Amino acid sequence: MQIADIDLGKYSNQFSSYTELRLHENRSQSIVLLNGDVVSNARDTTGGVSARVFNDGTWGFSSNPDMSNDSIDVTISAATRNAAFLAKRTGDENAVLPSSKASRSSDFRTKKVLKTQEEKIAFLTEIDQFIVNSFPDIVSRQVLLSCLDMEKKLQTSEGSNGHNITTRALIAVKLTTENADNEPVELSEVIGARGQYEDVFESMDTIGPALEKLYAQLLDKKEAVQPISGYHDVILASDLAGILAHEAIGHTTEADIVRAGSIAADFLGKKVASDLITLVDFANSYQGEILPVPIYLDDEGVESQDAIIIEDGVLKSYMHNKDTAQHFGMELTGNARAYSYTDEPLVRMRNTAILSGASKIEDMIASIDDGYLLMRPTNGQADSTSEFMFGVQMGYEIKNGKLGNAISDTTISGVAFDMLNNVTMVSDEMVWSCAGMCGKKQPMPVGMGGPAVKTKVYIGGQ
Amino acid sequence: MSIKSKGDSQTDVGPEGLLARNTLASLTQAGFDRAACRVSADELHELQAENSEINLFRTNFETDISLVGIADERKASISINQIDEATVNNAVADLRAMAAGSSPDSAHDIACHQPHETFNGGIAEPNYDLMYDRVAEMQTYASDKYPTLNLRSTGVTFYKRKSCFVNSNDVCFQTSRGLYQVSISFSSKEGTDTSSMMYTGYSSYDLDTPIFEATNVDMLLRQSTEQVRTEHIPGKFQGEMIISPDCLTDFLGFMLGRISDGSLISGTSVFKDKLNEAVASPLLSIHSRPVDDALTGGYWVTGGGFKAENSTILDQGVLKTYLLGQYGANKTGLDRAVNSGGNYCVDAGESNYEDLISSVKEGILITRFSGGRPNDRGDFSGIAKNSYYIKDGKVAFPVKETTVSGNMVDLLQNISGISKERLNFGGSVLPWVKVSGIKAS
Repeated sequence: MQIADIDLGKYSNQFSSYTELRLHENRSQSIVLLNGDVVSNARDTTGGVSARVFNDGTWGFSSNPDMSNDSIDVTISAATRNAAFLAKRTGDENAVLPSSKASRSSDFRTKKVLKTQEEKIAFLTEIDQFIVNSFPDIVSRQVLLSCLDMEKKLQTSEGSNGHNITTRALIAVKLTTENADNEPVELSEVIGARGQYEDVFESMDTIGPALEKLYAQLLDKKEAVQPISGYHDVILASDLAGILAHEAIGHTTEADIVRAGSIAADFLGKKVASDLITLVDFANSYQGEILPVPIYLDDEGVESQDAIIIEDGVLKSYMHNKDTAQHFGMELTGNARAYSYTDEPLVRMRNTAILSGASKIEDMIASIDDGYLLMRPTNGQADSTSEFMFGVQMGYEIKNGKLGNAISDTTISGVAFDMLNNVTMVSDEMVWSCAGMCGKKQPMPVGMGGPAVKTKVYIGGQ
Repeated sequence: MSIKSKGDSQTDVGPEGLLARNTLASLTQAGFDRAACRVSADELHELQAENSEINLFRTNFETDISLVGIADERKASISINQIDEATVNNAVADLRAMAAGSSPDSAHDIACHQPHETFNGGIAEPNYDLMYDRVAEMQTYASDKYPTLNLRSTGVTFYKRKSCFVNSNDVCFQTSRGLYQVSISFSSKEGTDTSSMMYTGYSSYDLDTPIFEATNVDMLLRQSTEQVRTEHIPGKFQGEMIISPDCLTDFLGFMLGRISDGSLISGTSVFKDKLNEAVASPLLSIHSRPVDDALTGGYWVTGGGFKAENSTILDQGVLKTYLLGQYGANKTGLDRAVNSGGNYCVDAGESNYEDLISSVKEGILITRFSGGRPNDRGDFSGIAKNSYYIKDGKVAFPVKETTVSGNMVDLLQNISGISKERLNFGGSVLPWVKVSGIKAS
């Protein structure tokens, strides 16, 4: 049975206390070409029903892949029983949750005829051949298609309900060449957006120029020098701004992390950043544009609101689920999201961005005598101390206001609030990334965005 | 609890086996030359505490059907978790279309015929009361002994999987294992001073031991309370690093990844053509032991459907095997590994942990590594989290904003000591390892 055909409202009479009943299916697809060979040609569909019940301050949860009527009954009963097991032992009968009632639905599936597997593989092969024909000296190439559709239908005991389908399609390309010492030098690029494959990849028009830019930078990287370790003036390019917003500040201001001892607990209402910094976790849209991961109704039935984290340098708020909003006495923001039907909702970012400023990137580079331009992030990590780290796979020296040699792969780090206080210029660009997959207990697609910023960070190296 | 293995008749299969065989028959009828199917049924029962409150009790039931089909050397795979007939039939039809749309590759294959076998291990049922008591006891212990510690989460999970793998070469492996998985994460706070977050975990067939007495849990809790006040190292230096078992796989992972399919097929591995050559210090021996009674987190059957065996990857620094699957082996002309990797056991060394520390003139004791992904040459840099500065053989103070960098290939060659003491995490057994030539700044 399809999720769309199942009426969850009819189970409301089985809710004995606050209850979330969710049907949830993730549909993913992966095709990998390695040096032209199809080494992976796979699909995965995982879905089912879950129920979460709140009883005297404790939660019971249960899930089952079977979405039949009987299975949904059993799942609600099991979650109710689990909550009672805990309530009997540790329950607090005065515990309450903030209430919410909303009804929101969305569907970002394509209206076009779906492409066949053969057509998709043919397109990836076209990309692979473009690389072979256009770029000499490539010793290895990988072209990967990754698509994920998440479909959720929710009913809560407070009357919230919705049916939301989010989609995204990504193509990742990794090119490897060799330097003069015959050592491998690699660089990768992810191209993609919200939407299904048919809407995102209509032609080579956007892919070709992106790959040409990637190859040009790879050639620069063949001659890369090691960056000098230490604190430096840097320009974090706009394609780094998203991960900066997500790792450096975002995680530190998720309210469950704050409650667990994050340093942000001590700074609410205080100046934590340069006046140039405003950072927002957007629910679904910005300036009329629908963002990479649009969330209208979270998995606790809360209508998603933008969470303004830092405004003109002042820490204004956190991102919340019902538990944390109750704990801190703050407004709900609708940040509770679960990755799979087997998962409970956690406080998760949606589309986290530093807002753009007024500076031109050329002027920002010209303002640095001795520093670095950093671009193309890899992985990243945050900490309760607000110390952040992320990998950088491409960058250039800046000498006397001009770009110099490329630098080899490095890791940058810093203390988020120190780094934000050191921001002296913010560019007028706004670049969004749809490729983020956050790894806080459960994986989760996230959007990230922002401009280039000039600040100081610690660069690992020799 | 020991692992049992016995022969099995064609008909002696459970519901997972029946579904797997029926689905395999459908794949063959659909026109696949070679096909495989794995059906798994999972149970998960979890108690979780957050911020010192036991606040979540979860029971999940999962199924998974993984189908692989090869027709005219074109391969595809599908995984679904609905087991009704219509969904399975649709998946078979989709798989046929996916394979037809792919490119032929003679390296695609399925596991060869092997005798049918059944493997059982671990425990059958969870003990909810004991799970609860262990979590509650952990909360009490932490709050009593370490008042500044915030036990952010404690999870005790009973996980059981029953699985059947069949393929068209008459392979049939049935497995069943139940075990407990324990995880904790924590940080400490004194006034406005906050420590880095830390986490650890292990698996076990029983809950006989309090969580705080398992592996090095108590040591990590104590260290967390010390780490609320950290200091910068005096200055950049090139010295030694003692890698804790908690993060040792972060430093072995580069080599283990580069001796696997992707890097060897693409030809970008720095370990290509290094078989039977010394790639590490003679002090280092690493084994992959998925079928070891001392480990609870192993496996009996590889992802490709071969009966798993234990193997030695590095023998006194010499590379003895790659970790190639069947496709990688066919593609490179090298031997298939006898397992799918994982369950890494590093041989104990000859030094006491304390002697390793006292032998360091200047260095870092690293317990968590927060680093960028190393490039293909193995160059790495990252932050030493929950870590200490060592000076003249003594642990001096927990470090602040300290970056360590080096090269993963050189690091293996520069191992200069391994502890006698090892920690058994259930899925791996690992010692403390001393390396030289690390840059800290």
